[in-house]
Amino acid sequence: MSSTSSSSKSNSNLNLNLKNYDYYLILATSFALLLIGIVCVYGVWYSYDLYTTNSNWQSTIQFSEYITMMNMYVYPFVLVLLLSLGLCIPKRIVPRTALIKATAVILLLTLVASVVGGIGLGITFILLMSIAVQAVVLVLTVIKSGALTFEREGHLIQIGSSLLHLGTVLFIFDFASMRDSVYHIPVFWVVTVLMGIGTLMSFYPSEISRLGRKIALR
Amino acid sequence: MGYQEYLVARELVSTFGQPILAYATLISAILLLLSLYYLVKREERIIEYSIKLLQVNTILIALGFIVLMWFHFKIYSTIEVIYPEYVTAYMYQTSGIQLTSSRFAIPLWIETEKLYFWALCLSLFAWQISRKYRESAKGIIVSLNIILSLLIVITYLYSNPFTEPLPIVHSEITNWSQAIAAQNPQIVGQIAMQLFGRITYYYNSMYMWTHPPMLFIAYASLAVTFAACVFMLFKKDEVFDKIAYSHAKIGYLLLTVGMLIGYPWAVLAWDGEWWWDSKINGSIMMWVLYSAYLHTRIHLHRKSMWEVTAILGIVCFISLVFTYLLTYVVPGIHSMAQV
Repeated sequence: MSSTSSSSKSNSNLNLNLKNYDYYLILATSFALLLIGIVCVYGVWYSYDLYTTNSNWQSTIQFSEYITMMNMYVYPFVLVLLLSLGLCIPKRIVPRTALIKATAVILLLTLVASVVGGIGLGITFILLMSIAVQAVVLVLTVIKSGALTFEREGHLIQIGSSLLHLGTVLFIFDFASMRDSVYHIPVFWVVTVLMGIGTLMSFYPSEISRLGRKIALR
Repeated sequence: MGYQEYLVARELVSTFGQPILAYATLISAILLLLSLYYLVKREERIIEYSIKLLQVNTILIALGFIVLMWFHFKIYSTIEVIYPEYVTAYMYQTSGIQLTSSRFAIPLWIETEKLYFWALCLSLFAWQISRKYRESAKGIIVSLNIILSLLIVITYLYSNPFTEPLPIVHSEITNWSQAIAAQNPQIVGQIAMQLFGRITYYYNSMYMWTHPPMLFIAYASLAVTFAACVFMLFKKDEVFDKIAYSHAKIGYLLLTVGMLIGYPWAVLAWDGEWWWDSKINGSIMMWVLYSAYLHTRIHLHRKSMWEVTAILGIVCFISLVFTYLLTYVVPGIHSMAQV
Protein backbone atom coordinates (compact mmCIF):
# COMPACT_ATOMS: atom_id res chain seq x y z
CA MET A 1 0.00 0.00 0.00
CA SER A 2 2.75 2.37 1.03
CA SER A 3 4.82 1.47 -2.03
CA THR A 4 1.77 2.19 -4.29
CA SER A 5 1.29 5.53 -2.60
CA SER A 6 4.96 6.47 -2.92
CA SER A 7 4.95 5.34 -6.57
CA SER A 8 1.89 7.47 -7.36
CA LYS A 9 3.49 10.38 -5.49
CA SER A 10 6.68 10.02 -7.54
CA ASN A 11 4.57 9.78 -10.73
CA SER A 12 2.72 12.94 -9.83
CA ASN A 13 6.06 14.67 -9.06
CA LEU A 14 7.34 13.52 -12.45
CA ASN A 15 4.22 14.89 -14.16
CA LEU A 16 4.58 18.17 -12.30
CA ASN A 17 8.24 18.45 -13.30
CA LEU A 18 7.37 17.66 -16.89
CA LYS A 19 4.63 20.30 -16.80
CA ASN A 20 7.16 22.84 -15.59
CA TYR A 21 9.63 21.66 -18.21
CA ASP A 22 6.96 22.04 -20.93
CA TYR A 23 6.03 25.43 -19.58
CA TYR A 24 9.54 26.82 -19.72
CA LEU A 25 10.16 25.31 -23.16
CA ILE A 26 6.96 26.90 -24.45
CA LEU A 27 8.03 30.20 -22.92
CA ALA A 28 11.43 29.88 -24.65
CA THR A 29 9.71 29.03 -27.96
CA SER A 30 7.35 32.00 -27.66
CA PHE A 31 10.24 34.29 -26.74
CA ALA A 32 12.28 33.12 -29.77
CA LEU A 33 9.24 33.71 -32.01
CA LEU A 34 8.78 37.17 -30.51
CA LEU A 35 12.42 38.03 -31.16
CA ILE A 36 12.13 36.87 -34.79
CA GLY A 37 9.16 39.24 -35.04
CA ILE A 38 11.28 42.09 -33.67
CA VAL A 39 14.03 41.34 -36.24
CA CYS A 40 11.36 41.60 -38.96
CA VAL A 41 10.19 44.99 -37.67
CA TYR A 42 13.79 46.15 -37.66
CA GLY A 43 14.10 44.95 -41.29
CA VAL A 44 11.03 47.00 -42.28
CA TRP A 45 12.38 50.11 -40.58
CA TYR A 46 15.90 49.61 -42.00
CA SER A 47 14.76 49.08 -45.61
CA TYR A 48 12.33 52.01 -45.39
CA ASP A 49 15.13 54.20 -44.11
CA LEU A 50 17.31 53.16 -47.08
CA TYR A 51 14.42 53.83 -49.49
CA THR A 52 13.97 57.37 -48.24
CA THR A 53 17.63 58.19 -48.88
CA ASN A 54 17.98 56.25 -52.16
CA SER A 55 14.88 54.91 -53.91
CA ASN A 56 17.10 52.72 -56.09
CA TRP A 57 18.94 51.12 -53.16
CA GLN A 58 17.96 47.57 -54.17
CA SER A 59 20.23 47.85 -57.22
CA THR A 60 23.21 48.80 -55.07
CA ILE A 61 25.60 46.92 -52.78
CA GLN A 62 23.42 48.07 -49.87
CA PHE A 63 20.82 45.46 -50.82
CA SER A 64 23.12 42.43 -50.53
CA GLU A 65 24.49 43.89 -47.29
CA TYR A 66 20.93 44.19 -46.00
CA ILE A 67 20.14 40.55 -46.91
CA THR A 68 23.33 39.33 -45.18
CA MET A 69 22.57 41.46 -42.11
CA MET A 70 19.01 40.14 -41.81
CA ASN A 71 20.20 36.53 -42.19
CA MET A 72 22.84 37.13 -39.50
CA TYR A 73 20.28 38.62 -37.10
CA VAL A 74 17.64 35.96 -37.59
CA TYR A 75 19.83 32.81 -37.58
CA PRO A 76 20.48 32.74 -33.78
CA PHE A 77 16.76 32.90 -33.02
CA VAL A 78 15.97 30.23 -35.62
CA LEU A 79 18.65 28.13 -33.89
CA VAL A 80 16.96 28.66 -30.49
CA LEU A 81 13.63 27.73 -32.07
CA LEU A 82 15.03 24.53 -33.57
CA LEU A 83 16.67 23.58 -30.28
CA SER A 84 13.50 24.21 -28.28
CA LEU A 85 11.48 22.16 -30.79
CA GLY A 86 14.09 19.41 -30.52
CA LEU A 87 13.75 19.43 -26.73
CA CYS A 88 10.00 19.88 -26.59
CA ILE A 89 8.48 17.42 -29.05
CA PRO A 90 10.46 14.22 -28.25
CA LYS A 91 10.50 14.84 -24.47
CA ARG A 92 8.58 11.66 -23.58
CA ILE A 93 10.46 9.23 -25.81
CA VAL A 94 13.88 10.07 -24.47
CA PRO A 95 14.68 10.70 -20.79
CA ARG A 96 15.01 14.42 -20.16
CA THR A 97 18.68 14.39 -19.12
CA ALA A 98 19.62 12.30 -22.18
CA LEU A 99 17.63 14.70 -24.36
CA ILE A 100 19.43 17.73 -22.95
CA LYS A 101 22.82 15.98 -23.40
CA ALA A 102 21.93 15.01 -27.01
CA THR A 103 20.84 18.60 -27.72
CA ALA A 104 24.12 19.90 -26.28
CA VAL A 105 26.04 17.49 -28.54
CA ILE A 106 24.00 18.58 -31.60
CA LEU A 107 24.64 22.22 -30.73
CA LEU A 108 28.38 21.55 -30.33
CA LEU A 109 28.52 19.69 -33.67
CA THR A 110 26.60 22.53 -35.30
CA LEU A 111 29.15 25.03 -34.00
CA VAL A 112 32.02 22.82 -35.23
CA ALA A 113 30.32 22.49 -38.66
CA SER A 114 29.84 26.28 -38.76
CA VAL A 115 33.50 26.94 -37.95
CA VAL A 116 34.80 24.33 -40.41
CA GLY A 117 32.36 24.75 -43.32
CA GLY A 118 30.71 28.07 -42.67
CA ILE A 119 27.34 29.04 -41.21
CA GLY A 120 25.51 27.43 -44.16
CA LEU A 121 26.88 23.99 -43.30
CA GLY A 122 26.07 24.49 -39.61
CA ILE A 123 22.48 25.42 -40.39
CA THR A 124 22.10 22.49 -42.84
CA PHE A 125 23.45 20.09 -40.20
CA ILE A 126 21.11 21.21 -37.43
CA LEU A 127 18.15 21.28 -39.79
CA LEU A 128 18.82 17.72 -40.96
CA MET A 129 19.10 16.61 -37.33
CA SER A 130 15.83 18.37 -36.50
CA ILE A 131 14.06 16.79 -39.48
CA ALA A 132 15.29 13.36 -38.37
CA VAL A 133 14.06 13.92 -34.80
CA GLN A 134 10.65 15.25 -35.90
CA ALA A 135 10.24 12.41 -38.43
CA VAL A 136 10.96 9.78 -35.73
CA VAL A 137 8.44 11.48 -33.40
CA LEU A 138 5.86 11.46 -36.18
CA VAL A 139 6.37 7.77 -36.92
CA LEU A 140 6.15 6.89 -33.21
CA THR A 141 2.99 8.96 -32.89
CA VAL A 142 1.35 7.37 -35.91
CA ILE A 143 2.02 3.85 -34.62
CA LYS A 144 0.46 4.98 -31.35
CA SER A 145 3.58 4.71 -29.25
CA GLY A 146 2.61 4.38 -25.60
CA ALA A 147 5.74 6.33 -24.71
CA LEU A 148 4.34 9.52 -26.18
CA THR A 149 2.03 11.95 -24.45
CA PHE A 150 1.64 15.53 -25.54
CA GLU A 151 0.63 18.60 -23.67
CA ARG A 152 -2.91 18.22 -24.97
CA GLU A 153 -4.55 14.83 -25.20
CA GLY A 154 -5.94 13.09 -28.24
CA HIS A 155 -4.24 11.02 -30.87
CA LEU A 156 -5.26 13.31 -33.74
CA ILE A 157 -3.85 16.35 -31.94
CA GLN A 158 -0.58 14.48 -31.38
CA ILE A 159 -0.27 13.51 -35.05
CA GLY A 160 -1.29 17.04 -36.10
CA SER A 161 1.27 18.65 -33.82
CA SER A 162 4.01 16.32 -35.13
CA LEU A 163 3.06 17.05 -38.76
CA LEU A 164 3.01 20.79 -38.10
CA HIS A 165 6.41 20.82 -36.40
CA LEU A 166 7.96 18.53 -39.05
CA GLY A 167 6.52 20.83 -41.74
CA THR A 168 7.99 23.91 -40.06
CA VAL A 169 11.48 22.42 -39.82
CA LEU A 170 11.28 21.08 -43.37
CA PHE A 171 10.23 24.51 -44.61
CA ILE A 172 13.25 26.18 -42.97
CA PHE A 173 15.49 23.47 -44.47
CA ASP A 174 13.94 23.82 -47.94
CA PHE A 175 14.34 27.57 -47.81
CA ALA A 176 17.83 27.70 -46.28
CA SER A 177 19.50 24.78 -48.07
CA MET A 178 17.51 23.80 -51.16
CA ARG A 179 16.75 27.07 -52.92
CA ASP A 180 18.88 26.16 -55.94
CA SER A 181 17.71 22.57 -56.10
CA VAL A 182 15.20 21.29 -58.67
CA TYR A 183 13.34 19.74 -55.72
CA HIS A 184 12.86 23.10 -54.00
CA ILE A 185 9.24 23.64 -55.08
CA PRO A 186 8.15 19.95 -54.86
CA VAL A 187 9.54 19.82 -51.29
CA PHE A 188 7.76 23.09 -50.61
CA TRP A 189 4.39 21.54 -51.61
CA VAL A 190 5.09 18.65 -49.26
CA VAL A 191 5.65 21.28 -46.53
CA THR A 192 2.33 22.95 -47.39
CA VAL A 193 0.46 19.64 -47.15
CA LEU A 194 2.19 18.72 -43.85
CA MET A 195 1.51 22.11 -42.26
CA GLY A 196 -2.03 22.42 -43.60
CA ILE A 197 -3.11 18.94 -42.47
CA GLY A 198 -1.10 19.30 -39.25
CA THR A 199 -2.85 22.54 -38.34
CA LEU A 200 -6.27 21.12 -39.21
CA MET A 201 -5.68 18.02 -37.07
CA SER A 202 -4.31 20.02 -34.15
CA PHE A 203 -7.19 22.51 -34.15
CA TYR A 204 -10.19 20.38 -35.11
CA PRO A 205 -9.58 16.82 -33.84
CA SER A 206 -13.14 16.17 -32.68
CA GLU A 207 -14.66 17.43 -35.95
CA ILE A 208 -12.25 15.28 -37.99
CA SER A 209 -12.91 12.15 -35.94
CA ARG A 210 -16.69 12.76 -36.18
CA LEU A 211 -16.33 13.08 -39.96
CA GLY A 212 -14.16 9.93 -40.05
CA ARG A 213 -16.80 7.99 -38.09
CA LYS A 214 -19.55 9.18 -40.45
CA ILE A 215 -17.54 8.08 -43.51
CA ALA A 216 -16.76 4.73 -41.87
CA LEU A 217 -20.46 4.15 -41.13
CA ARG A 218 -21.36 4.64 -44.79
CA MET B 1 -15.10 42.38 -78.60
CA GLY B 2 -17.93 43.84 -76.54
CA TYR B 3 -16.24 46.95 -75.23
CA GLN B 4 -19.49 48.95 -75.35
CA GLU B 5 -21.28 46.21 -73.49
CA TYR B 6 -18.51 46.25 -70.89
CA LEU B 7 -18.85 50.02 -70.49
CA VAL B 8 -22.59 49.70 -69.91
CA ALA B 9 -21.94 47.03 -67.26
CA ARG B 10 -19.37 49.28 -65.56
CA GLU B 11 -21.88 52.12 -65.48
CA LEU B 12 -24.52 49.85 -64.00
CA VAL B 13 -22.15 48.70 -61.26
CA SER B 14 -21.76 52.30 -60.15
CA THR B 15 -25.49 53.00 -60.43
CA PHE B 16 -26.51 50.04 -58.28
CA GLY B 17 -23.45 49.68 -56.09
CA GLN B 18 -23.05 53.30 -54.97
CA PRO B 19 -26.36 53.58 -53.12
CA ILE B 20 -25.88 50.14 -51.56
CA LEU B 21 -22.54 51.16 -50.06
CA ALA B 22 -23.86 54.61 -49.15
CA TYR B 23 -26.73 53.06 -47.15
CA ALA B 24 -24.35 50.56 -45.56
CA THR B 25 -22.08 53.44 -44.54
CA LEU B 26 -24.99 55.38 -43.08
CA ILE B 27 -26.10 52.35 -41.08
CA SER B 28 -22.48 51.84 -39.99
CA ALA B 29 -22.35 55.39 -38.67
CA ILE B 30 -25.54 54.79 -36.65
CA LEU B 31 -24.17 51.42 -35.49
CA LEU B 32 -20.97 53.09 -34.38
CA LEU B 33 -22.85 55.68 -32.33
CA LEU B 34 -25.15 53.07 -30.81
CA SER B 35 -22.20 50.85 -29.90
CA LEU B 36 -20.35 53.72 -28.23
CA TYR B 37 -23.57 54.66 -26.40
CA TYR B 38 -23.89 51.06 -25.14
CA LEU B 39 -20.33 51.10 -23.82
CA VAL B 40 -21.24 54.15 -21.70
CA LYS B 41 -24.85 53.42 -20.68
CA ARG B 42 -25.06 49.59 -20.93
CA GLU B 43 -28.72 49.61 -22.00
CA GLU B 44 -29.89 46.17 -23.08
CA ARG B 45 -32.24 47.37 -25.82
CA ILE B 46 -29.23 48.95 -27.61
CA ILE B 47 -27.82 45.46 -28.16
CA GLU B 48 -31.06 44.37 -29.81
CA TYR B 49 -31.05 47.41 -32.12
CA SER B 50 -27.39 47.04 -33.00
CA ILE B 51 -27.75 43.34 -33.86
CA LYS B 52 -30.63 44.18 -36.19
CA LEU B 53 -28.61 46.95 -37.84
CA LEU B 54 -25.66 44.59 -38.19
CA GLN B 55 -27.88 42.06 -39.96
CA VAL B 56 -29.24 44.70 -42.36
CA ASN B 57 -25.71 45.91 -43.02
CA THR B 58 -24.42 42.41 -43.73
CA ILE B 59 -27.24 41.85 -46.22
CA LEU B 60 -26.41 45.17 -47.93
CA ILE B 61 -22.70 44.38 -48.12
CA ALA B 62 -23.51 40.91 -49.50
CA LEU B 63 -25.80 42.52 -52.10
CA GLY B 64 -22.99 44.86 -53.13
CA PHE B 65 -20.71 41.84 -53.44
CA ILE B 66 -23.23 40.14 -55.74
CA VAL B 67 -23.19 43.31 -57.91
CA LEU B 68 -19.38 43.06 -58.05
CA MET B 69 -19.57 39.37 -58.94
CA TRP B 70 -21.94 40.19 -61.79
CA PHE B 71 -19.54 42.90 -63.02
CA HIS B 72 -16.61 40.47 -62.98
CA PHE B 73 -18.68 37.96 -64.91
CA LYS B 74 -19.54 40.66 -67.46
CA ILE B 75 -15.85 41.49 -67.91
CA TYR B 76 -15.17 37.81 -68.51
CA SER B 77 -18.00 37.39 -71.00
CA THR B 78 -17.60 40.65 -72.95
CA ILE B 79 -13.86 41.15 -73.27
CA GLU B 80 -11.74 38.75 -75.25
CA VAL B 81 -8.11 39.43 -76.09
CA ILE B 82 -7.44 37.85 -79.47
CA TYR B 83 -3.73 37.78 -80.18
CA PRO B 84 -2.43 38.83 -83.62
CA GLU B 85 -0.85 36.07 -85.66
CA TYR B 86 2.71 37.34 -85.29
CA VAL B 87 2.33 37.45 -81.50
CA THR B 88 1.11 33.85 -81.38
CA ALA B 89 3.96 32.79 -83.69
CA TYR B 90 6.50 34.62 -81.50
CA MET B 91 5.14 33.08 -78.29
CA TYR B 92 5.19 29.62 -79.83
CA GLN B 93 8.79 30.01 -81.03
CA THR B 94 10.14 31.48 -77.79
CA SER B 95 8.24 29.58 -75.11
CA GLY B 96 6.25 26.86 -76.88
CA ILE B 97 2.96 28.41 -75.71
CA GLN B 98 0.09 27.99 -78.17
CA LEU B 99 -1.87 31.24 -77.81
CA THR B 100 -5.30 31.74 -79.22
CA SER B 101 -7.19 34.16 -77.02
CA SER B 102 -7.58 35.13 -73.34
CA ARG B 103 -10.40 36.31 -71.15
CA PHE B 104 -10.14 38.28 -67.90
CA ALA B 105 -11.13 36.08 -64.93
CA ILE B 106 -10.64 38.90 -62.41
CA PRO B 107 -10.54 37.90 -58.72
CA LEU B 108 -12.95 39.71 -56.40
CA TRP B 109 -10.28 41.03 -54.00
CA ILE B 110 -8.07 43.30 -56.05
CA GLU B 111 -7.59 47.08 -56.32
CA THR B 112 -10.42 48.92 -54.53
CA GLU B 113 -12.28 45.70 -53.77
CA LYS B 114 -9.83 44.45 -51.10
CA LEU B 115 -11.26 46.34 -48.14
CA TYR B 116 -14.80 45.63 -49.30
CA PHE B 117 -14.10 41.90 -49.26
CA TRP B 118 -12.50 42.19 -45.82
CA ALA B 119 -15.60 44.08 -44.58
CA LEU B 120 -17.90 41.38 -45.98
CA CYS B 121 -15.95 38.62 -44.20
CA LEU B 122 -15.93 40.58 -40.92
CA SER B 123 -19.71 41.24 -41.20
CA LEU B 124 -20.33 37.52 -41.50
CA PHE B 125 -18.12 36.73 -38.49
CA ALA B 126 -19.77 39.51 -36.45
CA TRP B 127 -23.23 38.15 -37.35
CA GLN B 128 -22.19 34.66 -36.31
CA ILE B 129 -20.83 35.97 -32.96
CA SER B 130 -24.03 37.97 -32.34
CA ARG B 131 -26.12 34.81 -32.84
CA LYS B 132 -23.94 32.50 -30.81
CA TYR B 133 -22.90 34.74 -27.91
CA ARG B 134 -25.87 37.13 -27.69
CA GLU B 135 -26.17 36.67 -23.92
CA SER B 136 -22.63 35.85 -22.82
CA ALA B 137 -20.42 38.29 -24.75
CA LYS B 138 -22.33 41.50 -25.43
CA GLY B 139 -19.17 43.59 -25.09
CA ILE B 140 -17.49 41.65 -27.90
CA ILE B 141 -20.56 42.04 -30.14
CA VAL B 142 -20.46 45.81 -29.57
CA SER B 143 -16.68 46.00 -30.13
CA LEU B 144 -16.97 44.07 -33.39
CA ASN B 145 -19.69 46.46 -34.48
CA ILE B 146 -17.33 49.36 -33.83
CA ILE B 147 -14.47 47.75 -35.80
CA LEU B 148 -16.82 46.82 -38.65
CA SER B 149 -18.40 50.29 -38.78
CA LEU B 150 -14.98 51.92 -38.98
CA LEU B 151 -13.92 49.49 -41.71
CA ILE B 152 -17.03 50.24 -43.79
CA VAL B 153 -16.64 54.02 -43.37
CA ILE B 154 -12.95 53.76 -44.41
CA THR B 155 -13.97 51.61 -47.40
CA TYR B 156 -16.57 54.16 -48.47
CA LEU B 157 -14.17 57.09 -48.15
CA TYR B 158 -10.88 55.65 -49.40
CA SER B 159 -11.48 52.38 -51.23
CA ASN B 160 -14.97 52.54 -52.69
CA PRO B 161 -15.21 49.81 -55.36
CA PHE B 162 -18.27 51.45 -56.95
CA THR B 163 -17.10 55.02 -57.65
CA GLU B 164 -14.57 53.97 -60.26
CA PRO B 165 -14.74 50.18 -60.58
CA LEU B 166 -11.37 48.43 -61.06
CA PRO B 167 -9.43 51.44 -62.41
CA ILE B 168 -6.30 49.52 -63.49
CA VAL B 169 -8.28 46.75 -65.22
CA HIS B 170 -10.38 49.45 -66.87
CA SER B 171 -7.34 51.28 -68.24
CA GLU B 172 -5.94 47.98 -69.59
CA ILE B 173 -9.21 47.10 -71.31
CA THR B 174 -9.55 50.64 -72.69
CA ASN B 175 -5.98 50.61 -74.03
CA TRP B 176 -6.63 47.30 -75.74
CA SER B 177 -9.87 48.55 -77.25
CA GLN B 178 -8.20 51.74 -78.54
CA ALA B 179 -5.30 49.77 -80.02
CA ILE B 180 -7.72 47.51 -81.89
CA ALA B 181 -9.66 50.54 -83.15
CA ALA B 182 -6.44 52.26 -84.34
CA GLN B 183 -5.56 49.11 -86.34
CA ASN B 184 -1.86 49.57 -85.71
CA PRO B 185 -0.43 46.01 -85.66
CA GLN B 186 2.70 47.04 -83.76
CA ILE B 187 0.77 48.66 -80.89
CA VAL B 188 -1.77 45.84 -80.85
CA GLY B 189 1.11 43.36 -80.58
CA GLN B 190 2.79 45.27 -77.75
CA ILE B 191 -0.40 45.58 -75.70
CA ALA B 192 -1.35 41.97 -76.40
CA MET B 193 2.00 40.82 -75.03
CA GLN B 194 1.54 42.93 -71.89
CA LEU B 195 -2.01 41.67 -71.41
CA PHE B 196 -0.91 38.08 -71.90
CA GLY B 197 1.43 38.46 -68.90
CA ARG B 198 -1.15 40.26 -66.73
CA ILE B 199 -3.97 37.84 -67.53
CA THR B 200 -1.97 34.62 -67.30
CA TYR B 201 0.29 35.34 -64.33
CA TYR B 202 -1.88 37.72 -62.34
CA TYR B 203 -5.65 37.88 -62.91
CA ASN B 204 -6.25 34.28 -63.98
CA SER B 205 -3.51 32.85 -61.80
CA MET B 206 -4.47 30.08 -59.37
CA TYR B 207 -2.42 31.90 -56.71
CA MET B 208 -4.39 35.13 -57.08
CA TRP B 209 -7.62 33.19 -56.60
CA THR B 210 -6.40 31.46 -53.43
CA HIS B 211 -3.64 33.45 -51.63
CA PRO B 212 -5.41 36.83 -51.05
CA PRO B 213 -8.91 35.55 -50.11
CA MET B 214 -7.45 33.14 -47.55
CA LEU B 215 -5.57 36.05 -45.98
CA PHE B 216 -8.61 38.37 -45.97
CA ILE B 217 -10.83 35.74 -44.33
CA ALA B 218 -8.00 35.17 -41.82
CA TYR B 219 -7.78 38.93 -41.14
CA ALA B 220 -11.53 39.07 -40.45
CA SER B 221 -11.38 36.09 -38.12
CA LEU B 222 -8.35 37.49 -36.31
CA ALA B 223 -10.19 40.79 -35.77
CA VAL B 224 -12.63 38.78 -33.64
CA THR B 225 -9.67 37.34 -31.69
CA PHE B 226 -8.43 40.89 -31.13
CA ALA B 227 -11.78 42.09 -29.75
CA ALA B 228 -11.99 39.09 -27.42
CA CYS B 229 -8.38 39.58 -26.22
CA VAL B 230 -9.14 43.20 -25.30
CA PHE B 231 -11.93 41.93 -23.04
CA MET B 232 -9.64 39.23 -21.62
CA LEU B 233 -7.47 42.02 -20.26
CA PHE B 234 -10.33 43.38 -18.16
CA LYS B 235 -12.11 40.22 -17.08
CA LYS B 236 -11.05 36.60 -16.57
CA ASP B 237 -14.08 35.10 -18.29
CA GLU B 238 -13.61 31.78 -20.12
CA VAL B 239 -16.04 32.81 -22.85
CA PHE B 240 -13.65 35.55 -24.02
CA ASP B 241 -10.83 33.05 -24.37
CA LYS B 242 -13.17 30.61 -26.11
CA ILE B 243 -14.12 33.23 -28.73
CA ALA B 244 -10.51 34.44 -29.11
CA TYR B 245 -9.12 30.93 -29.54
CA SER B 246 -11.83 29.57 -31.85
CA HIS B 247 -11.28 32.48 -34.23
CA ALA B 248 -7.49 32.38 -33.88
CA LYS B 249 -7.66 28.77 -35.06
CA ILE B 250 -9.56 29.71 -38.24
CA GLY B 251 -7.29 32.71 -38.78
CA TYR B 252 -4.04 30.86 -38.17
CA LEU B 253 -4.98 27.95 -40.44
CA LEU B 254 -5.88 30.27 -43.32
CA LEU B 255 -2.92 32.55 -42.62
CA THR B 256 -0.48 29.62 -42.69
CA VAL B 257 -1.85 27.98 -45.83
CA GLY B 258 -2.48 31.34 -47.55
CA MET B 259 1.07 32.54 -46.91
CA LEU B 260 2.53 29.21 -48.00
CA ILE B 261 0.55 29.30 -51.26
CA GLY B 262 2.09 32.71 -51.94
CA TYR B 263 5.61 31.28 -51.75
CA PRO B 264 5.90 29.44 -55.13
CA TRP B 265 4.16 32.42 -56.74
CA ALA B 266 6.84 34.73 -55.35
CA VAL B 267 9.59 32.36 -56.55
CA LEU B 268 8.09 32.40 -60.06
CA ALA B 269 7.31 36.10 -60.22
CA TRP B 270 10.23 37.69 -58.34
CA ASP B 271 13.29 35.77 -59.33
CA GLY B 272 16.17 36.53 -56.99
CA GLU B 273 16.33 38.02 -53.49
CA TRP B 274 12.86 38.97 -52.31
CA TRP B 275 12.74 37.29 -48.94
CA TRP B 276 13.50 40.25 -46.69
CA ASP B 277 11.17 42.61 -48.57
CA SER B 278 9.14 44.83 -46.20
CA LYS B 279 5.80 43.12 -46.81
CA ILE B 280 7.39 39.68 -46.42
CA ASN B 281 9.01 40.88 -43.16
CA GLY B 282 5.61 42.04 -41.95
CA SER B 283 3.96 38.76 -42.89
CA ILE B 284 6.62 36.67 -41.11
CA MET B 285 6.32 38.93 -38.06
CA MET B 286 2.54 38.45 -38.01
CA TRP B 287 2.83 34.67 -38.38
CA VAL B 288 5.46 34.23 -35.67
CA LEU B 289 3.46 36.43 -33.29
CA TYR B 290 0.31 34.38 -33.81
CA SER B 291 2.41 31.23 -33.32
CA ALA B 292 3.64 32.72 -30.02
CA TYR B 293 0.03 33.52 -29.00
CA LEU B 294 -1.06 29.92 -29.65
CA HIS B 295 1.92 28.61 -27.65
CA THR B 296 1.39 30.84 -24.60
CA ARG B 297 -2.31 29.94 -24.61
CA ILE B 298 -1.44 26.30 -23.83
CA HIS B 299 -0.52 27.46 -20.31
CA LEU B 300 -3.31 30.03 -20.02
CA HIS B 301 -4.10 29.26 -16.38
CA ARG B 302 -0.58 29.66 -15.07
CA LYS B 303 0.36 32.80 -13.19
CA SER B 304 0.16 35.91 -15.42
CA MET B 305 -0.28 33.82 -18.59
CA TRP B 306 -3.90 34.95 -19.04
CA GLU B 307 -2.70 38.57 -19.32
CA VAL B 308 0.36 37.66 -21.42
CA THR B 309 -1.85 35.74 -23.89
CA ALA B 310 -4.37 38.59 -24.08
CA ILE B 311 -1.62 41.16 -24.68
CA LEU B 312 -0.08 38.93 -27.36
CA GLY B 313 -3.47 38.61 -29.07
CA ILE B 314 -3.72 42.40 -29.18
CA VAL B 315 -0.12 42.86 -30.39
CA CYS B 316 -0.78 40.23 -33.09
CA PHE B 317 -3.68 42.25 -34.49
CA ILE B 318 -1.67 45.47 -34.40
CA SER B 319 1.01 43.62 -36.41
CA LEU B 320 -1.70 42.45 -38.84
CA VAL B 321 -2.92 46.01 -39.50
CA PHE B 322 0.71 47.17 -39.74
CA THR B 323 1.44 44.43 -42.31
CA TYR B 324 -1.64 45.35 -44.35
CA LEU B 325 -0.68 49.02 -44.39
CA LEU B 326 2.93 48.23 -45.39
CA THR B 327 1.66 47.61 -48.94
CA TYR B 328 0.65 51.26 -49.17
CA VAL B 329 3.32 52.92 -47.04
CA VAL B 330 6.67 51.19 -47.51
CA PRO B 331 7.94 50.68 -51.08
CA GLY B 332 9.06 47.20 -52.06
CA ILE B 333 8.50 44.30 -54.42
CA HIS B 334 5.08 43.47 -52.86
CA SER B 335 4.01 47.09 -52.57
CA MET B 336 1.99 49.85 -54.17
CA ALA B 337 3.81 52.64 -52.32
CA GLN B 338 6.16 55.06 -54.03
CA VAL B 339 8.83 57.20 -52.41
